[in-house]
Amino acid sequence: MKNIFVLFSFLFFTISLQAGGGWTQPKGKGYVKISEWWLIANQHYTDQGRIDPNLTNGLFNTTVYAEYGLSDRLTAIVYFPFFSRSYVNNEISGTTGELLTAGEAINSIGDTDISLKYGLTKNSGISVAATLTLGLPIGNSSGGSQGNLQTGDGEFNQLIQIDAGTGFPLGSTNAYANVYVGFNNRNNGFSDEFRYGIEAGVTLFKDRLTAIARFIGVKSFKNGTPSAESTNTSVFANNAEFFSFSPEIAWNVKENWGFSAGVGTALSGKIIYANPSYNVGVFFKW
Amino acid sequence: MKNTFYITLLTLLFSACIGDDIIMDRVEETLKITVQAASIAAGETFQFDARFTNNIGNTEEGRVVWGSSDESILAITEDGLATAITQGNVVVTAEVTLEDGSMLKEEMDVEVSMITVVVEAPTSRAGVIATTTFYDLEGDFTLTEINGGVSLEIADNYKATDALPGLYIYLTNNPNSISDALEIGAVTVFEGAHTYELEGVGLTDYDYVLYFCKPFRVKVGDGKIN
Repeated sequence: MKNIFVLFSFLFFTISLQAGGGWTQPKGKGYVKISEWWLIANQHYTDQGRIDPNLTNGLFNTTVYAEYGLSDRLTAIVYFPFFSRSYVNNEISGTTGELLTAGEAINSIGDTDISLKYGLTKNSGISVAATLTLGLPIGNSSGGSQGNLQTGDGEFNQLIQIDAGTGFPLGSTNAYANVYVGFNNRNNGFSDEFRYGIEAGVTLFKDRLTAIARFIGVKSFKNGTPSAESTNTSVFANNAEFFSFSPEIAWNVKENWGFSAGVGTALSGKIIYANPSYNVGVFFKW
Repeated sequence: MKNTFYITLLTLLFSACIGDDIIMDRVEETLKITVQAASIAAGETFQFDARFTNNIGNTEEGRVVWGSSDESILAITEDGLATAITQGNVVVTAEVTLEDGSMLKEEMDVEVSMITVVVEAPTSRAGVIATTTFYDLEGDFTLTEINGGVSLEIADNYKATDALPGLYIYLTNNPNSISDALEIGAVTVFEGAHTYELEGVGLTDYDYVLYFCKPFRVKVGDGKIN
């Protein structure tokens, strides 16, 4: 699986909270989050699900995520990494101290997602929404001398996702839970995917702090081009799978803005980085 | 609050810089006598030769010092040119002084007699490829001298993962690095017998077959050429 796919896999399971699960934005209401997401990886899950080391690869994304209620049922969502950086470290001989291979880095915009979410239920105890996400391949899919530095995967994917969420009191606090399943149709030789997830959150300190626990899974249909036959020359090429845990907190400084921070780590996986990713951001809502 | 923000920002900026990964590429130094004679005719000369590879697997010229156990029977210069003087038996030594002051030494028995008998070098070497990671890789191989080069024949019990893009095969004297290795090419066969023919390569030039994921700089496995 390509680096960028790992990137967006992690991004996906850290971004999905703001999409609101089964809930849509009321008409005219919106949410914007500017965040930094990063992953520095020196080990990965192999195709056998075991962990092997690799040359350190850093991935950094500075992003804007926004959602806006076009109507009470229809929400437009955009995820735009306006600055994306990928690098690999220098290789230094432990015997002589000499530089064996110089590290490399690329900077560009990243692949961008645009989505439309439609609320299937109204005034129901369980909110259900369907989302169509289009992954636009506008990043760099083959940077660096080996083509293994990427800020985009070069493939146009279409993700259809169904979310179901409900809110409920938990003692003196408010809580929510959400589950989803999705099918990600990918082209350009990439395998299609089944995606699933469950998350739960609770608000504390008079609703100023929201603590979220999130589990996300991706299963590959393995119906794409075998990695070895792919022109994509990264160890993270195709047919990746993972099951991840991503806790996150959001602190509402004021009613209309706040900070968030989260971490995502793959508890198991195949052909995916094994190091945790992190994100911090500031959000605004109106 | 403001200080925390700036500290976080600076940490991120420095984290986004290219750093250094230390590659543990030390290997045992090796010394092999590559041209040798079992017997040298009295009154004749013979040029011995040896190959020394250092602690990162690079071949170093001019490091080998030659000697004879009895200069009255067989005299030898420091660069390995032997002169057979009178009939008898000697031990010829090739020595290299290592960085830590220790000696690496190879020796062979040589007879000074009526005829010169050159020790024939082997025409093939063999080994077993094994994974050094959690990726599938295994199989036997044979390296055979052919006209103008060598042929690397991978046996039919060979199997390699096709989950890694950019898997390459090399010949090297350092299985921990592809620096100074000979890149044979991208792996395109992942099961069964196949052959690589390499022009301009000597049978004793390299001691390892190495499989390496080139784009991601990950060693996948190797095989010692015995």
